[in-house]
Amino acid sequence: MPGDFAAWTAIALVAAVTLTSRLAGAFLMTRIHHSAAVERFLDGLSVSVLAALVGSALAQHGWREAAAVALAALVMMRAGSAVWALTAGIALAAGWTAAFG
Amino acid sequence: MDTQPPPGRPIILTFAGVLRGGRRLLPVATFVLPFGTAFGVAAAEKGMEVAQILAMSAVVFSGAAQFATLDFWTTPLAFGSLALVALAVNARHIILGAALSPWVNALPPPKRVMALTMLSDANFADSHVAFKSGERDVGYLLGGGLVMWVNWNVGTAIGAFAGSLIGDPAAFGLDVVMVCFFGAIVAAQLKRRTAILPVAVAFAISFGTVDHLPTGWNVILAALAGGLVSVVRRAR
Repeated sequence: MPGDFAAWTAIALVAAVTLTSRLAGAFLMTRIHHSAAVERFLDGLSVSVLAALVGSALAQHGWREAAAVALAALVMMRAGSAVWALTAGIALAAGWTAAFG
Repeated sequence: MDTQPPPGRPIILTFAGVLRGGRRLLPVATFVLPFGTAFGVAAAEKGMEVAQILAMSAVVFSGAAQFATLDFWTTPLAFGSLALVALAVNARHIILGAALSPWVNALPPPKRVMALTMLSDANFADSHVAFKSGERDVGYLLGGGLVMWVNWNVGTAIGAFAGSLIGDPAAFGLDVVMVCFFGAIVAAQLKRRTAILPVAVAFAISFGTVDHLPTGWNVILAALAGGLVSVVRRAR
């Protein structure tokens, strides 16, 4: 277990790196010339990063998570409500755990 | 030169926007409580002091970075490796910030910093859709982030003080909240035909490379590929 000084230094280090990552994207974009291509890139990027988070999570889990996400996506497309989509996904996952462990 | 804000009313950051964003994301943010609790429990088990656990959630506010830090919580601490891992798991924030830049960069620098300090996956997902639909108040992003931050920290405190009394979030299906939320947001965007190919490419790459790239880098690679596909496809 690290000593007090090392522990607080580590916390400060991780906080600094995390804050820098939050500020860096918008700052870097102030250095890039605006164009239609940049706009299309950002547009594609914004939806792609969410799709990538879903892909990465599903690759590390199983059918339970995949079924929950599929149901949530379906409910979102049909009902247009994120809260209903989440409720459906959570209910399916809870039911799956109760049924299959 | 800044990326230009979309034409229309000026971009602002107001308290009313903060409240609107906070209210909108509250149902999702509530589900963050058990994950904050899980971090509090795991950190306490690693031997972190309560003050350190609470401070870490308050100033870092990144589940991925905080859980990764616990893997390095040994003596001596490997500060270089810790910084690199924190950068890797947080690098997607750079992409999120870049995607929000047309709105955020229209604000004066102090307000930019204020809004981006609370940037997370969830309030990005919610705000980006709202901004594209005509929301002009970046307070919406900040408000969503603040309710996430509060829930993350309350959850952490519960875990740090009373973690052993809490059950397993998976039994209640709570472990799938975030991935379901992202899946729902992506599904809503698929109504735009131009989003289908970037989504398919990003999903396939992140899914297929998760075992071959360091933590987090598969997401970055996939997101960049999706962005490039969007440029190439519509340029033709």
